[in-house]
Amino acid sequence: MGIKSIEVTDRLYWLGRYSERVYTSLRLFAKSYDDMLDKGDTYGELCRSLEIPNIYPTAQNFLRRYPFDESDPNSIASNLRRAYDNAVELRQEIGTEELSYIQLAVYEMNRARLSDAPMLEFQKIADNILAFWGIIDDQVEDENTRNIIKVGKRVERIDLFGRLHASQVDLHREIRRLQGRIDRCTIRYDRACLAELGRLVEAEPLDYSAIVQTVERLTAV
Amino acid sequence: MQGAFVSFLGQRVSPLPPAEREKGDSMYEMDLIERANSVNELLARYGVKFGIYKNGTFKEQLFPFDAIPRVIPADEFDLLDRGLRQRVKALNLFLEDIYNEKKIVRDRVVPEEFIYASSGYLPQCEGIRPSGGVFSHISGIDLVLGKDGSWYILEDNLRVPSGASYPLIVRDLCRRSSPRTFQEFHIEDNRNYAQLLRHTMDYANVGGLTVVLTPGRYNAAYFEHSYLAEQTHSPLVSGQDLVVEEDGVYLLDYTGKKERVGAVYRRISDDFLDPLSFRPESLIGVPGLFQAYRKGQVAILNAPGNGVADDKGIYYFVPKMIQYYLGEQPILSNAPTYLPFYEEDMKYVLEHLDTLVLKDVAEAGGYGVVFGSKMSARQKEDFVALLKAEPRRFIAQEVIDFQDLDIMDNGVRVPRKADLRVFVLSAEEPVVWKSGLTRFSRNPDSFIVNSSQGGGFKDTWVLSR
Repeated sequence: MGIKSIEVTDRLYWLGRYSERVYTSLRLFAKSYDDMLDKGDTYGELCRSLEIPNIYPTAQNFLRRYPFDESDPNSIASNLRRAYDNAVELRQEIGTEELSYIQLAVYEMNRARLSDAPMLEFQKIADNILAFWGIIDDQVEDENTRNIIKVGKRVERIDLFGRLHASQVDLHREIRRLQGRIDRCTIRYDRACLAELGRLVEAEPLDYSAIVQTVERLTAV
Repeated sequence: MQGAFVSFLGQRVSPLPPAEREKGDSMYEMDLIERANSVNELLARYGVKFGIYKNGTFKEQLFPFDAIPRVIPADEFDLLDRGLRQRVKALNLFLEDIYNEKKIVRDRVVPEEFIYASSGYLPQCEGIRPSGGVFSHISGIDLVLGKDGSWYILEDNLRVPSGASYPLIVRDLCRRSSPRTFQEFHIEDNRNYAQLLRHTMDYANVGGLTVVLTPGRYNAAYFEHSYLAEQTHSPLVSGQDLVVEEDGVYLLDYTGKKERVGAVYRRISDDFLDPLSFRPESLIGVPGLFQAYRKGQVAILNAPGNGVADDKGIYYFVPKMIQYYLGEQPILSNAPTYLPFYEEDMKYVLEHLDTLVLKDVAEAGGYGVVFGSKMSARQKEDFVALLKAEPRRFIAQEVIDFQDLDIMDNGVRVPRKADLRVFVLSAEEPVVWKSGLTRFSRNPDSFIVNSSQGGGFKDTWVLSR
C-alpha cells in the first residue's frame, strides 16, 4: 500500500513512541521496584530522572499509581493505553496478528493490576512489546510502515536516554540508528535538528537537556 | 433431547456411517464445546469487539461466541441461494426504477406514499445510475427458520449492513482449535469473503484506489471496518483524509501527495456522508463526495438512497417487486406482514394485536419493536391511538414460531432464539456468500438477537455436497 494518510502516519509514529515508552518505563520500574524492597523510598529518583512530577506521597502509592493509574498521564498504563489507541486504528496497516501483541499487553496490564506480584505480568507485557516489534519487522511488507514505527521508537529512546543521562556510547548508537532510518520513510522532520543531534552527541560533557529538547523538536514540523 | 448430536448436526448431514453417528457427532460436538473458551480467548486476542454507548460512555465489548454452529445442509442452502439472488436482483431493479422511471409507482404496484414518505428516500439521488448499474453491492438479508422448516425473510439491509467480519474471522479460529472437525465434515470454506468483497469493489470502481470510509474508532462496527480494510488491502480512511477537487475524489498523503479514489466502501450512513448534500453539521463526511458520485467520478458502495428499498414498510412489497420486475414467483417468503396503511390490514391488526409484533419503520437495531402480547391495557390504548394517527409509521407481523438453536450457557445446553444474516455481494451478478452471521439472544424470553442488546453469535456452516 503506497499512499499513507496524515492520520495513519501520525499513528504509526506515536505507536512507535508509546510502545518504546512502555517498554523502557517497565524496565526502569522493575529496577526501582527491586531497589525499594531493600532501600525503601527511592522512587523520587526515578521521577526526577524521567522528569515526571512526583505526585506520590508514599512508596506504596507510587507502586500502585505509577504503573496502573490511567488517570495519571505519566503512568505506564496510560502510555500503554495510548499505544493501544494508536494500534487499534492501524489494524489495516499493520495487520490483525501484529496488533494482537499490543492487545495482549493490555490484557496483561489488567491482570497485573489484580496481582500481588505484578512484576511477573510486567515481564509478559515487555515480552509482548518485543514480540510486537519482532512481528512488525518480520511480517509487515511495507517498508515505509516499518520505518515510521522505528523512527518513533528511536526518537522516544533518545528522548528517554537523554533524560536518564545514558552513556555517550548508548546515545551515539541510538542517534546513528535514527539517522540511518529516518530518510527511508515519508515522515517529515527538521534536518537541522538531526544535524544538531549529531553534533550534540559528540560534545563532552554531553548536554543532556539540549539533546532532549532537540529530539523533541525533530518531528514537530 | 434424543441425544445431543441430533440438534448439533442432525443425522441427515453426518458423514459417518449410521451406526457410528451418535457417538461420532457427539465427539466432534464436545470437541467444539470444550474448545469454545480457546476460541473466545483468540477472539479477545484479536480484538474482535463491538462498541456500545452506555450512559453516554463508549465501551468496547467482546462479541460472545457460542461454539455450537448453525448447520445448513447443501440443498437447503441452494434454496436460500436462489431465493436471495432473486430478491437482491429485484431490489436493485427497484432502486434503479425508483430513482429513474418510477414504473412500479405508475403501475400502482407500490403506492407513492411508501416511497416519498420514507426517510430512506433521497430526492438528491433522482436520475442517478451508479457505475455497473448496482445500487446494493453488499446486501445483508435477515432470515429465520420457522418450526415448519421454512426460511422466512425478516428484513433487508441495503445501506451499510454489518456483521460479515465475525463469521469470517471466527472460522479461522475454529479451524485452529478443532481441526479434526473440519477434516471430518464437508463444510464450505467461508474465508473467501474478502475476495468476494474486493471483486465487488473493483467492479464498481470507476478508476483509482478503493478505500473503506469509516466514521472512526467510536463507531459500533469499527472492528469490522478495520478488519475488512485489512483483508481487502484497502486503505481505511476517515472523512478528513479525502478531498474533492473538480469532482474528483482524492486521498491525501502525509507528504501532500494526492491519489485518485475510484470507489468508496462507506460505512457511514447517508445522512452524514457529505455535509454539502445531506446533513450540514456532519463532521465525519466528505464535502463534495456526493456531487462527484452524481457525476460518475467515484463509486459509492452501497449507493446513497438505498434506504428507500429496505424500509420496513417497503419490505411488504418485495414479493410484488419480484413478480413485477422478474416475472417470477418469490422463492423465499416474507414473514406474514400487515400494513395498517391499508384499511383492511388496519382492521386485522386492531383485532389481533395480541398475536402480532409491531415495528416502527423508522427504527433499527432491534429498537422500536413491540410485542402486542406484552403490552399493558394502557399501553395498547396509547399504541392504537398512535397507530391510527400515523398508520404509515408501523408494520405488523405474525410472530413466527422460529426454531431455537442450542447454545451453551454456563456449561448448560439451552435453546435460544436465533436469526441469520446472509450476505449477498453484487457485481456482474449477485453472489451469496456461503456462510452468514447467526446471532442469538442470551435472554431466554427475548426474540431480540442484536449484539447491541446483549446477543452473541455462532459460526454458520453451509455443508458442501
